Amino acid sequence: MILLPRGNPVKEKLNPAKVNLPDALGKLHTGHFTGYLRFETRQGTGILIFHQGKMISALFSADGVHLTGYEAIGRIFSHSVAGNTSLDIYRLSTELAMGIHALLHGDVLYRGQALKLMDIRVLLGSLKEDAITGCLRIYTDDRVALIFYREGKPLGFFHDGSKDLETTADTSMSVAKLPGAKVDVLTTNVADESSLQDLMDAGQLTAIWQLVQAEAARHQKKSESGRAVPGTSSERRKSLLIYLQGVAEQHIGNIGIYLVEKEFDDLVLGSETSLQAFFANLTKAAKLVAGPKKVDVMLGEMRKGIQATLNGR
Amino acid sequence: MLWQTLSFDWGVAQVLLWAVAGLMSFYFSFGSGRVWTSIAVGFFLVLLSEVIPQAAPFFPRLDIPQVEAMGYIVSTLAILVMTHGFQEYYVFSRTFEMNGRRRYVYLGVLAVILASVVFILINPVPDRETLKIIRIVGYSNWVFLSLINVDMIRKIHVQVAGSPISRGFIGFLLVFFFFFLWKGSALYLEVYHLDLLAEQYTVRYMVSMWVGNIGNILASLSVGGTFLVLARALR
Repeated sequence: MILLPRGNPVKEKLNPAKVNLPDALGKLHTGHFTGYLRFETRQGTGILIFHQGKMISALFSADGVHLTGYEAIGRIFSHSVAGNTSLDIYRLSTELAMGIHALLHGDVLYRGQALKLMDIRVLLGSLKEDAITGCLRIYTDDRVALIFYREGKPLGFFHDGSKDLETTADTSMSVAKLPGAKVDVLTTNVADESSLQDLMDAGQLTAIWQLVQAEAARHQKKSESGRAVPGTSSERRKSLLIYLQGVAEQHIGNIGIYLVEKEFDDLVLGSETSLQAFFANLTKAAKLVAGPKKVDVMLGEMRKGIQATLNGR
Repeated sequence: MLWQTLSFDWGVAQVLLWAVAGLMSFYFSFGSGRVWTSIAVGFFLVLLSEVIPQAAPFFPRLDIPQVEAMGYIVSTLAILVMTHGFQEYYVFSRTFEMNGRRRYVYLGVLAVILASVVFILINPVPDRETLKIIRIVGYSNWVFLSLINVDMIRKIHVQVAGSPISRGFIGFLLVFFFFFLWKGSALYLEVYHLDLLAEQYTVRYMVSMWVGNIGNILASLSVGGTFLVLARALR
């Protein structure tokens, strides 16, 4: 779980499975978008950070998995194509985008410290004293606030709904007052903006996209062959019907074909009650055209056939 | 007279053969599928309708027009019940559905017979003309329903072809063809009063009598044979 404030929402709860992601990212690139894309999947969370159209950061984080760069993009594409992924797009200021980028790739000094067990003033004094450049992430289960520091001096506050760093601590501090609030302390090495990498290589993204698509197609095919199990069962049922009709025709003539067909509609394979009803009704009707001995022999053969079908032989 | 010299008393032979066929059919009606009940009971009623007029003279108290009328009515009832039975079998052979209970067939037939007895008893004693009309009504039913049954049995046979009882339905085809000859001849004699004009139309009368009697004998034989085949196939 990557904890980031929601910023200024552009789009929320999109289904990326319906989007050509390289094209969509290309539009953000040409539109000089600054902000981040959050891909929430069952398996983990993916973050793509844009800074004036450059994709400066890609991250995919799950339990025990922390991917960056094109690996992260590949994983994000893969989960998006597979479905069950929710995409949120948030606009940020360039400074905040850089701050979040630095935050995501920084080091963790403290993680998950319960605020009620610690003196926040002592912590802030320590950050100042040690001239820490980084971020305090204060969060609960559903709310997050960030406090950015450069060399021990607070730069500003970022919380849900912020477009830029704010100078007032009210909202951020209100998160700290919530029951169960925790704090992470992260240090970052803020790079020069000009030195930032740009992952927006259209050719590379398209290649990853095509690979993912091909993989999804293979998966689909595999799923379909998996779904063919009921189909196979249906085929087996059809084969059984033909077999039973053949047995009936052999013992009681043409009418047996129709009698079996009529009773077979209600037959649930594997259900003993249904099977008994099938044989009872068939016996009753068959005895109008054949003697009990012949009917018994016919039913005996049918039972063997049904048993063989149930055993999958 | 030629027609008198060629006449032959078929009565005893016919009653005996019908006794065998009728008892066989009645026995068959027990233990077989419900659908056979009406058919078997119908054939048993043929036995009764044959026995009643033949036996009546030997029982002075029974040699009365009401008993004779009941004989004809039971005969008519026989073909109606048989036709009902084949109709049920035809429906079964097409829809594979069978409803009803055996005892309702027995009780229904018994109720109709009792109602007929009451009808005969509450009305004037039937004279020769009335008896003739009752006979003609009966023969008419036999003739037309025999033809209908031939067609219905042919269709049933197509449906049950290849089954153990399919040969039985070929037997029934023959049975109803013989019924048609037997009852058709009788109807012809009645309608044209050939029994009264036998001397004038000797050949027609003789041919009709022979066809009727042979038809009767063959019908009883084929009924017995058919139920024998069915019993072997279904028991």
